[in-house]
Amino acid sequence: MSTYQSLLLGIRSSGDYFISTFMFGVMFGIAASAAGLSQWQALLMSASSFTASGQFAALEFWQSPLPYGTIALSVALVSSRNILLGMAMTHRFDGHSLKRRIVWLFLLNDPGVVTSYRLEQNVDRLGYITGYGMAIMTSWLSSTWLGLSVADIFTTLDLGAIDFAGPLVIATMMMLFIKGSKTRSTPWIVSSITALILFELETENYLVLLLSVTAGVTAAVIQERQLRG
Amino acid sequence: MVDQQSTLIAIALMASVVYLTRVGGYFIGLQLRHIAGIKPVLEALPGCAFMAILAPAIRRGSASEILAMSCVVLIMWRSNNVVFATGTGMAVLLLAGPYLDGI
Repeated sequence: MSTYQSLLLGIRSSGDYFISTFMFGVMFGIAASAAGLSQWQALLMSASSFTASGQFAALEFWQSPLPYGTIALSVALVSSRNILLGMAMTHRFDGHSLKRRIVWLFLLNDPGVVTSYRLEQNVDRLGYITGYGMAIMTSWLSSTWLGLSVADIFTTLDLGAIDFAGPLVIATMMMLFIKGSKTRSTPWIVSSITALILFELETENYLVLLLSVTAGVTAAVIQERQLRG
Repeated sequence: MVDQQSTLIAIALMASVVYLTRVGGYFIGLQLRHIAGIKPVLEALPGCAFMAILAPAIRRGSASEILAMSCVVLIMWRSNNVVFATGTGMAVLLLAGPYLDGI
């Protein structure tokens, strides 16, 4: 399948997460307006960062003077799973020029990566994930704009209930990963047990992510070595 | 009120950080790809990352949040319908939250 056909497949496959993203985008538009961002500033942020969780994290600190270091650190921590998604795609983007990979990686997105696991071998992964990302970006921008436009109506809306919406969406991706990925379950089981133990020990959030992923990777390496004898 | 220049600097900073996480992971992977047997290890990473986020979230979750998560997992297991699963989870949070979490 050509890159262009794979890109179109990515766009066509994105329906479910297009709608989920739209819901978050509206919420982000409302929250951005409440934080004092103008319409074009919020849209610029959505277009250039393209990270729901990172943008919500940044808004927590949006007051004058802006704490650049804190914003950068919190966005980096929330977005650190992108590093793992990028690493997971290492063997999947071959056959493209380095320039194209560098540019198209801008649209790397969780649901695109997770759903790409169950695709046929002949689908171009970079094209698919980029197409998926283009659709999600469209949803993200249009819903941010809608949220900004209706923000005045919802000035008293309590967004507290959506705090847990992020984990719910991640759970849908985890289920797709479990069902679509051919990798074994041991690494993520080890990772989740480690995360629980670290949580009970009141470890910082970023260390929970770092150490539990490290534990999962260690389990995967050990398992792979055993399988290879 | 944050002035325009500060806002633009912060937005540029955010965009750079997020883009670096996207490109950085891929290029780290490229440096590791020559290691024998690394492919299944790298491909297990998204699952590890998702569970590292989900496990503590569930542990600290309220009754309505755990119920919402259970609904999402069950619906995804049976149907793979992301919209239905997320919509049901959100409905549980919004409708059952005030009753369950008040207990």
